Amino acid sequence: MSDTPVSEDGLKRLIIDSLNLEGVSPEMIDSEQPLFGDGLGLDSVDALELVVAMEKRFGIKIRSDEIEPGAFASVAALSRFVAGRMAEAEAETEAATA
Amino acid sequence: MNGAAAVTGLGAVSPFGWGAGPFADGLLAGAGAIGEFDRFDHAAYRTHVAGQVPPEPAGLAARQPCWRRLTLAERFAVAAAAEAVAGAGFGGGGTTGLAGRRAGVFFSSSTGGMLEGEEFYAALEPRRRPRLRGMVAQQVSAPGEAVARALGVTGPVETVSSACASGTLALGLALDALRGGEVDVAIAGGADVLCRITYAGFNSLRSVDERPCRPFRADRAGLSLGEGAAALVLERAEDALARGARPRALLAGAGAAADAHHMTAPHPEGDGAARAIAAALADAGVAAGEIGSLNAHGTGTPHNDLAEWRALARVFGAERARELPLAATKACVGHLLGSAGALEAAAAVVCLERGAVHPAPGGGAVDPETPAALVLGRPRPLAGAAPLLSLNLAFGGCNAALVLVPASA
Amino acid sequence: MNQVVVTGLGAVTAFGAGAEPLAGALARGATRLSPVEPSRRLPRPTGGATSAVRVGDLPLGEWLAPLVARRMSPPSRWAVAAAKMALADAGLSVPDRPGEPDPATAVALATSFGPMSYTQRLLDQILDEGPEAASPSLFTECVANAPAAQVAIQCRAAGRNHTICQREAGALTALARGAADVASGRAARALAGAAEEVTPLVFAILDRFRALARPHRRSSDRVGEAGPAPGATAAAGRGGSRGAAPPAPTEAARPFDRRRDGFTVADGAAVLVLEPAAAAAARGARVLARVRAWGGAFDPTAGRAGWGTGAAGLAVELQGVLGRAGLAPDDIDLVVSGASGAVAGDRLEAAVLRRLWAGAPLPPVLVPKAVTGEYAGGFLAAAVLAAAGRPFGAAPGFARSDDALAVAPHDGSPLPPPRRLLVTSLAAGGSAAWVILEAP
Repeated sequence: MSDTPVSEDGLKRLIIDSLNLEGVSPEMIDSEQPLFGDGLGLDSVDALELVVAMEKRFGIKIRSDEIEPGAFASVAALSRFVAGRMAEAEAETEAATA
Repeated sequence: MNGAAAVTGLGAVSPFGWGAGPFADGLLAGAGAIGEFDRFDHAAYRTHVAGQVPPEPAGLAARQPCWRRLTLAERFAVAAAAEAVAGAGFGGGGTTGLAGRRAGVFFSSSTGGMLEGEEFYAALEPRRRPRLRGMVAQQVSAPGEAVARALGVTGPVETVSSACASGTLALGLALDALRGGEVDVAIAGGADVLCRITYAGFNSLRSVDERPCRPFRADRAGLSLGEGAAALVLERAEDALARGARPRALLAGAGAAADAHHMTAPHPEGDGAARAIAAALADAGVAAGEIGSLNAHGTGTPHNDLAEWRALARVFGAERARELPLAATKACVGHLLGSAGALEAAAAVVCLERGAVHPAPGGGAVDPETPAALVLGRPRPLAGAAPLLSLNLAFGGCNAALVLVPASA
Repeated sequence: MNQVVVTGLGAVTAFGAGAEPLAGALARGATRLSPVEPSRRLPRPTGGATSAVRVGDLPLGEWLAPLVARRMSPPSRWAVAAAKMALADAGLSVPDRPGEPDPATAVALATSFGPMSYTQRLLDQILDEGPEAASPSLFTECVANAPAAQVAIQCRAAGRNHTICQREAGALTALARGAADVASGRAARALAGAAEEVTPLVFAILDRFRALARPHRRSSDRVGEAGPAPGATAAAGRGGSRGAAPPAPTEAARPFDRRRDGFTVADGAAVLVLEPAAAAAARGARVLARVRAWGGAFDPTAGRAGWGTGAAGLAVELQGVLGRAGLAPDDIDLVVSGASGAVAGDRLEAAVLRRLWAGAPLPPVLVPKAVTGEYAGGFLAAAVLAAAGRPFGAAPGFARSDDALAVAPHDGSPLPPPRRLLVTSLAAGGSAAWVILEAP
């Protein structure tokens, strides 16, 4: 079972690529800064776009009720959320094949 | 206050069946036609219910030329229009159906021939030679044009594709054309089909409920998609009177306004919707206090119903808004997208004719944040001949409203 | 009813940003064609067309910040840029967000195919990766009303908002919708126009239908300037089958020419600002044209994919549009025809015009689509420029009139400033839309 957080740099690149943030580099995104509203200025459609990108990249499924401000507050929060989901998915696979 | 138009004919194709009769019966019974569907393979989609039109009745192909070459949306449209025109006393359609009267078609669609377009697209491979008909019919204007062709219409033909407000806007255009003398008869309506792009698209927005949608309920969780068509024959009220046609209801006014706020989220206070309602009331010469019932947009998404409630509360005052009997037609047949407003106008005509607001299926507590007088269980009788307001709030922030009045008024 | 005037014009076309590059091309009688990449999904060229009148990579940073444009489909970007240009041209300030939107500014935009590149990308995701790979951003922006919704948001226009889909007749229908909103007083101002994008697949399908103009046999037919527009990067031919060099523009459409064999397709957007004449006068606005009358009709003999034979009926309808405005054909001194080079379409158009004038000679007939191509509002912009008295050169490529049509485009010689113009459009599928413009 992995307990390293999902790479924050990788997550920043995913955000930039999937949301078409032209002119933004990973260095410009602070891991603790708010992603939505005033921070990076992302909105609800961006959140959903990010969900699709993360599901694809990390092979996880994100439920609609999990798409809430807390999990998506910052890159750091997102990293913890994704790591948690990946760990759960790994545990389910282990249990199924045990 | 401007002139009213008489609705002299009504046609519908809905998840309740082919015809305005099954549509009316289903609505007034409080039935729900959202459930299992097989328009396309949805195994890999997030949700698995929709409002699908049942297979067409036998004999339709014989009654309409070139039926087999029509896309599904065109068939829905032509069937609804033919029913409406026949019901208006103009005969069964075809080139003699509207002879002598200058007619126009004011239609709406979001999907057009997209179902067949998707299948065409999926079949494209470098070595194959695809049948191109599927791609030509992809045009959103195709259902309205098919109606015009089938009826031999020679006046203006326009298709509005402003997402969920399209049908209501099309009715508004028809009303304008009649008042301006550009046409003597207007066939206003819309048609849409279930297709992959909208089903996947709304699911990607996490806007689709896994269950049939539950507008204004506390546990609402999203919309249900639907398909079908509606057509209303409209004439200037005095012309209908002169030829002895019996109006089924009157279209007294229409209004529209945009949120200019966000591409998917409605204005949180329902600003554009409130202004659209105000414009419709002014156009009809009706004060807010005179409205006796509502046909809501009521998609069942948390945001839409809340924004809609706030718009209603702003226009009618919270106290009055809590009392106005409200029909949530989408709970019965789903959200047809572009043509929703047209089918819901047809529902409004049905309710005014029967003197009762149709119930939504499913029961359950109304959300205290959206305390509308949602009619559940059984139709709620309407006392008197008060006007009805029908409202639609669209994806992209386009809002439109209609004021309809009982024929007996 | 208010009298309606055009006080601003914005355009994003193959000729560049704004109305002036387009006006220059119309005056020179020169189109601008760029090669269209082969379609991955329909790669076999069958009709033979290779080029379109394309915007290419025109920088739009002056009107659209990248973080604003990032989710917009190409037609939305072009429509917003054109709308902002039009407002600036009208001397109206473009509102800055987050100011209050104006409930009295209406929007009426036409599109035929909608944001097809986004629709196709979304379909690719759904079909190739599965429905759960569908991008919410692509879906939001692939709907036909995305450009009109973006114009409303970016230009703070919170009035009536219509997206008209009526194929080649859509642009004039949208103009009529905006004009009607202003005439009735339901809007103090309207942004009316059209936006379109042409994907390689749409191009390939039109070409498969043999709808598009093909290379002329004689390469000495010079019809315009080669290569991409200023600021555009040439789309390099992929796959080698079409070569790397941009073609000499010997496949411009030739409206009314005996050898015409189709239209050229264009992308981009054009938007007009419409206001009541009194309001424009009160603020000392420069008026480009007056919108005198409008109307539409349908030819039920048309099949779904082409034009019909109902010239007689259409001419009667057009006569009715003129009549309701208190006008007769005699009152028209210039025709801005929507003839595009389509074989049957131009035939029908010519027949309608001849019937309307009932044997009397026609006024001069301009055919801007030989320069602007079909769709995307270039024709709409050209009509306004004609009403404003701008010069039009000879139609590029026109060499032999078609005796069967008995209508020929104006030869480019100087014309007196027109007083009243008939602007026409007949769509495949049967729709017709007409507008009567007057000089300011």
